[in-house]
Amino acid sequence: MKRFEYLAPKMVEEALKMLSDCGHGGAVLAGGTDLLIAMKRREVNPHYVVNIKSIPDLDYIQYHQEAGLRIGAITNHSAIGDSPVIRDKFDLLATACNKIGTPQVRNMGTIGGNICKAGPSQDTPPALLVLDARVKLVSLSGKRIVPIDEFFVGPFKTVLQGAELLTEIQIPNPPPVSAGCYKWATKTVAVDETLVGVAVLITLDSADGVCTDIKIALGSVAPTPMRARKAEEVLRGKRIDDRLIKQAAQVAAGETRPRSRADYRRRISRLLVSEAIAETWKKIR
Amino acid sequence: MKQIATFIVNEKRYELAIEPHMLLVEVLRDELGLTGTKQSCGIGNCGACTVLIDGKPVLSCLTLALTVEGKHITTIEALAQGTALHPIQKAFVEHGAIQCGFCTPGMILSAKALLDKNLNPTDREVKYALSGNLCRCTGYVKIIDAVLAAAEAMSKEANT
Repeated sequence: MKRFEYLAPKMVEEALKMLSDCGHGGAVLAGGTDLLIAMKRREVNPHYVVNIKSIPDLDYIQYHQEAGLRIGAITNHSAIGDSPVIRDKFDLLATACNKIGTPQVRNMGTIGGNICKAGPSQDTPPALLVLDARVKLVSLSGKRIVPIDEFFVGPFKTVLQGAELLTEIQIPNPPPVSAGCYKWATKTVAVDETLVGVAVLITLDSADGVCTDIKIALGSVAPTPMRARKAEEVLRGKRIDDRLIKQAAQVAAGETRPRSRADYRRRISRLLVSEAIAETWKKIR
Repeated sequence: MKQIATFIVNEKRYELAIEPHMLLVEVLRDELGLTGTKQSCGIGNCGACTVLIDGKPVLSCLTLALTVEGKHITTIEALAQGTALHPIQKAFVEHGAIQCGFCTPGMILSAKALLDKNLNPTDREVKYALSGNLCRCTGYVKIIDAVLAAAEAMSKEANT
């Protein structure tokens, strides 16, 4: 690694000031599972490393009856995966976080870091997309709340500006009679990059009623994580049945824009979307 | 620019002059002479560099030393009491779970983190807990046997 100066702010304002002063020479350090590798490979050579894991205010999981879930940006994937409230009310997010990397990586890596990395094959974005998550971005000039589906603009590209920090993830309560799941395909069973990831959230008007809303999101099949909005239209407002699931899965596969192993990814997308919808529908009933 | 930082390793405090780029694995091995922790891939894939921080397994090859100042770091050297092996170490020896031994410190620490929370893991839970530790020699079967045997031994000890 090239030599650098290490800064450990204790508060968000302090971090923002440091990042603003450092300009392009500054890098934000959270879990370090991405940044350290890039620095070892000299792909990234910051003059200043700003450690935001030293800011205690950014590590929290809070649940409010009305407002829903608030997760601090430096909360570890393992904390999210183990959180009783997230496993109870937002279990697909816990599933997605428990899929990431290895136990060690989950103990180090943060959800904020994961979102800001914006890799096309990451596991949290599809779950966050169907949960209608929003991210809070702060800078010296103020704060803005950005819906997660506007945050990713390309592979490893987000709307985050230079001296801006993602500080919080906000997730509203799903409507009553909702359930979701996150499924994926990898080459090896335990640890591997996701080849296709599918998150689904279904809302019914009653336990065996009509599907009032459905959200389907896929990862690793397009330059950014994506919603399969045309597939959603197939089921929205209808009573779910096997024929419609099959149709929706077919439409979803057609919406994907995979770059590599495209044919395989389209086929697996169709399979996983079908399985995810069926599994979620069974969960609700 | 070096800065003085306090490290708590295996419950001992050390004041060291550390440069920002120094990794935890380098500080443990080169500054403190605790060479039980190994460096292998250097990019967080193999788990040979695993240590426990506040009881949780992390990768010391991807940790800047300054970021863990003041935290409780446990290395493999903490487990044996003199010549008395920790039950997990004993089980590894007895079950043939060690061949070249390079993955062993990291493997044992990951196992310890599991058993410190759950003394009755299933086969699957053991595999899941060790999924971040690669072994090139053993094929894992005896490692899993050893961890399950250690769990039983530690359970018995806890109940007496």
